[in-house]
Amino acid sequence: MNYLGHVLDHLRKDLRLEWRSRDSINGMLFFSLLVVVVFGLAFDPAGYPTTTRQIAGGILWVALLFASITALNQSWARELRNQVLEAQRMAPSPASALFLGKAIANMLFVLVVEAVLAPIFIVFFNLHALGNIWLLALILPLGTWALVVNGTFFAALGLRARNRELLLPLLLLPISLPALLAMVQATTGVLTADLDPIQINTWIKQLAGYDIIFTTICILLFETILNAE
Amino acid sequence: MTWQSFFDVSTMEHRHLLFAYATVLVIQGGYCAWIAWNWVHTKGSRR
Amino acid sequence: MEQRTPSLRNVAWLGFGIAVAVLVVGFRQAIFLTPADAAQGNVGRIFYYHVPSATMGLVFPYINFLAALAYLYWRRRNPLRALAADALALASAEVTVVFVSIGLITGMLWGRVAWGIWWAWDARLTTYLLLWLLYVSYLLLRRFSSTGESHTLSAVLSIFAAVDVPIVYMSIRWWRTQHPAPVFGGAPGSGMDKSMLPAFFWNLAGWAIWGIFILMFRFALERRRQIAEQEAALQAIEASLEIPQ
Repeated sequence: MNYLGHVLDHLRKDLRLEWRSRDSINGMLFFSLLVVVVFGLAFDPAGYPTTTRQIAGGILWVALLFASITALNQSWARELRNQVLEAQRMAPSPASALFLGKAIANMLFVLVVEAVLAPIFIVFFNLHALGNIWLLALILPLGTWALVVNGTFFAALGLRARNRELLLPLLLLPISLPALLAMVQATTGVLTADLDPIQINTWIKQLAGYDIIFTTICILLFETILNAE
Repeated sequence: MTWQSFFDVSTMEHRHLLFAYATVLVIQGGYCAWIAWNWVHTKGSRR
Repeated sequence: MEQRTPSLRNVAWLGFGIAVAVLVVGFRQAIFLTPADAAQGNVGRIFYYHVPSATMGLVFPYINFLAALAYLYWRRRNPLRALAADALALASAEVTVVFVSIGLITGMLWGRVAWGIWWAWDARLTTYLLLWLLYVSYLLLRRFSSTGESHTLSAVLSIFAAVDVPIVYMSIRWWRTQHPAPVFGGAPGSGMDKSMLPAFFWNLAGWAIWGIFILMFRFALERRRQIAEQEAALQAIEASLEIPQ
């Protein structure tokens, strides 16, 4: 069976497991809703539309970041039960196929959450983007992949550590900083139309470059950390 | 500068200068002392 | 080992003595001999401790990265050498955190006086803060991960950190040239007068020698711990073999 076949197998497995319990997605949705409500209470979106547009990008990505962290820890936890992880390590398929399958599955879950979150944002913050809104269809997946690929990797890194839940954000946030900068700036640029298209394009290119670099590193190093003992 | 003016804490400038130097000495000295304490409390090689 | 230890110990004490002596000379130069800065007054003397510490804080991460690569290379080929490489990685990570913390704190204390602000999100400062966060997370990973795998996991994290730091610097610098941060005057240390050079070089040399000394000291401590652990394990095995069947 070829590499892509292995990846798809792992992907199907994760999707099926998630579909049966749906606890990851529900957790993420409620968390994001909570963030939106709290920030809506913190300042007055209707009274200050300009400020709202300027910070909505940051709030969106903060909400997604924290929501995905809660889901990422869980995604590997299901591999610990019944010694599934040992079985995975002994399986002849390449370890990076497991990683990619899980990363893509996590990506799909977070995208579903984004799809639900976007209308909620628009409604609660009275947002209408001043720039080209179709760019968001490019920025959101690229940014999400940056968070998810590193997040899946570091969640696996801390799998057998104590204080696993603390370790993931601790490792993820510094590493993701350039991606966070790019995605927040690009999103804010689109919402406020303060940046001209060339700058937004450069942010998008930086985000894409970050994605490529770190996806490559994660795929290459996953086997090392899976067999770390 | 003299020793007296170094330890003068009346202005923010002098205070910050003193704090900066004190911080450096405390951190470096503390770290070195920690290593030394652990050195003494680790069993030496039998060989 | 018994013959080597006294001479190594002498070298260590010599290094310690030289470092302290150079630092004392540097302190005297910085505080008493160099005239006060025209623009900043006496608070400018922080420069002589801030810049050498910040510079050394940028050197040790490379040692950590190289040691991590060495560990991953030798992990299966020569485990004992890999263990020594890992000890060097841990020592250099800790020393990095020490120097970068000092750079950050002294920089903030100085910035508050010279510029009126504690912090600014420009390329240099943000990258420096990120460096601190990355190596603190390295140390926490070592502490929290289960013993068998902490060496490998932290080596992998070193690789991530080494790739990430330049990317952060370039992306934030590009960002700041697009949206310049509020201008707060010339960077401290821009333009060094000849009278400042002796103090600067004495302190740079002093902190560099101290940095190497403390790195070696920490490395030696870690090796001592590793060897003690191995011997304890050996004793346990030998004891278990002596139990009558």
